[in-house]
Amino acid sequence: MADTETHPDVEAQQHVHQQAGEPDLDRGMVEGWAARMISNPDRAYRAAFYVATFFFLVTTLFPFYWLFMIAISGDNVSNVGVLTPATPVEPGAFTEIFTQLPFHRFVFNSFLIATVATVLVLFVASLAGYVFGRLNFRGKQPLLLLVLVTSFFPPAAFFVPLNRLFNTNVEVLRPIMQDGSLYNTPQAIFLPLSALFLPLSIFILMTFYSQIPDGLEDAARVEGTTRLGALFRVIVPLSAPGVATAGVLTFISVYNEYFFSSLMTDGRAQNWAPMLEGVLGFRGQFEVDYHLMAAASIVAVLPVAILVVVAQEKIVSGLTAGAVKE
Amino acid sequence: MASETPPNESGTRLLMRPLNRLEMLSEQAYAYVLLLPAAILLGAIAFYPLVRTLTFSLRADDVFGADPFGKFVGFDNYIELLSGQALIPNQFVDPAMNEPLLRQALIVTLLFAVLSVFFETLIGFGQALILNQDFRGRRWVRVAIIIPWAVPVVIQAMIFWLMFNPTIGWGTDFMQWLGVFGDNPLANTSNSFIIVLVADIWKTSAFMALLILAGLQSVDRSLYDVARVSGASPWQQFKLITMPIVLPALLVAMLFRTMDAMRIYGVIDASTGCEQVPTLTCLVISSFNARRWASASAVAFLTAIVIGIMVLFYIWQFRRTEGGAI
Repeated sequence: MADTETHPDVEAQQHVHQQAGEPDLDRGMVEGWAARMISNPDRAYRAAFYVATFFFLVTTLFPFYWLFMIAISGDNVSNVGVLTPATPVEPGAFTEIFTQLPFHRFVFNSFLIATVATVLVLFVASLAGYVFGRLNFRGKQPLLLLVLVTSFFPPAAFFVPLNRLFNTNVEVLRPIMQDGSLYNTPQAIFLPLSALFLPLSIFILMTFYSQIPDGLEDAARVEGTTRLGALFRVIVPLSAPGVATAGVLTFISVYNEYFFSSLMTDGRAQNWAPMLEGVLGFRGQFEVDYHLMAAASIVAVLPVAILVVVAQEKIVSGLTAGAVKE
Repeated sequence: MASETPPNESGTRLLMRPLNRLEMLSEQAYAYVLLLPAAILLGAIAFYPLVRTLTFSLRADDVFGADPFGKFVGFDNYIELLSGQALIPNQFVDPAMNEPLLRQALIVTLLFAVLSVFFETLIGFGQALILNQDFRGRRWVRVAIIIPWAVPVVIQAMIFWLMFNPTIGWGTDFMQWLGVFGDNPLANTSNSFIIVLVADIWKTSAFMALLILAGLQSVDRSLYDVARVSGASPWQQFKLITMPIVLPALLVAMLFRTMDAMRIYGVIDASTGCEQVPTLTCLVISSFNARRWASASAVAFLTAIVIGIMVLFYIWQFRRTEGGAI
């Protein structure tokens, strides 16, 4: 229907339409346009399609353009326009964010937390997804339901006890942690987030693993592979797209998360505070460095933007697979 | 399966012994062993804290004590919260809202959930209808539509905070020109609510769009040919073919979005602040920061209950549409 090019036949037909439907009436531009819409509704639908596409493109992408305008406005940022930066253009903000605050350290912390959480989630969800997708055992449905139930509790319902737990000084941890507590360590963030995003990965991997034919697993077992070997050397590699999907979704979710990320550290870079504290750090108590905030936002959004461009099929299939499972 | 176990190598290698034992287990026991990591993670980070939240919420606040929990008081916290006598910190500056705090938070959260899910469904449907067409550049339009979904919460908040900042933003001028906003919308409860709402719609419509798109693509195209031959207009095709088939996917998407909207926190905390838009999760954090940990636990658990009720409502609706109309 909404092909960008119209088939010549259709065009000819439209032409005939117009000639037949519109005898020699002298209409204004708008009236003529409206008349053509009425005589040929397909045209109206196509116009609506282009208008809507344009609208969605502008609303989703314009904020990033404007952030960039702020970032290159330098100290005169209060003169920034809607479409133009303030003059003179000063791109210095993109280096200043790394000197005024250790923004690279914040981003590194976020990357580390997201990577560790992704690896942990993929490993645990692989085992669980295999069990739910391929094995038959008593209590399968109730356990699956229990996993689902965890995904709808609000993080706030876990927060008070977890905060208390992570602030407890445990003697055993004293040699590894500075004061024996998990607060201000990456664990305090990636552990809760792994648990929070585990159910989605279990559902995605469950779907993919259950689609591998039984024969392949049996063949590996006959060859003498161990049970775990069959899982990690046959089923997981064959479900590589599923594993990538779960991995990409977990990484983006952890990198983007706010609730635990903002509450489980004191906000200092050396204490493993994630990227969000860096961005907010430019909003000081006495003065706000708008251009630095904008520059920091652009730098921090780039990794996920690249990930979306590279892995958009995975994201789409993962989100829909995870949700349709319900 | 256990009969395929390789012969035991007389237990020489200590490392191999647990792996060998894994080979001998029945399928039932093997399933439980593989579920162990997931059970530990979810148990320690989700179920245990959830139970602790409940037990914490049954105790009195002890703001000045070394341990912030006082004696056991049963359901008093809940009764005080629901009857509006609770001593949770007074964080809401808008004097017009003379409601008790919890009721304010409940109203704000529910209103936010209903409005955001409503607009996201509308916009998501529009986006999904566009992505369902075949046109050149479709891949890039899809990337553009997904990108807001992948933006970290803090940057989403930053964009809208900057946009409505009186010093540099153009959003305030624009909205004043429309006659909607006052001078400083970020310091006004109702204006802030609209800002947060728009921010959420901007970010998460894409999620709706992807789930609806999955539903749209499961529609058999030949149904449209039949409809066109029998002279149905595109609107009739949409109403009679598209809508009934997409409805289950749509309900699932709405369920996910509602659950998410009920726990809104990050975008508020980083942009307008919890003083302006007090949601339930905001209330948990502000009570927590005032060392009213028991009240915080009670609010958190209430949030979980409210979300649980919403989920049951959706499941009931889902059952009804599955069994009745279709």
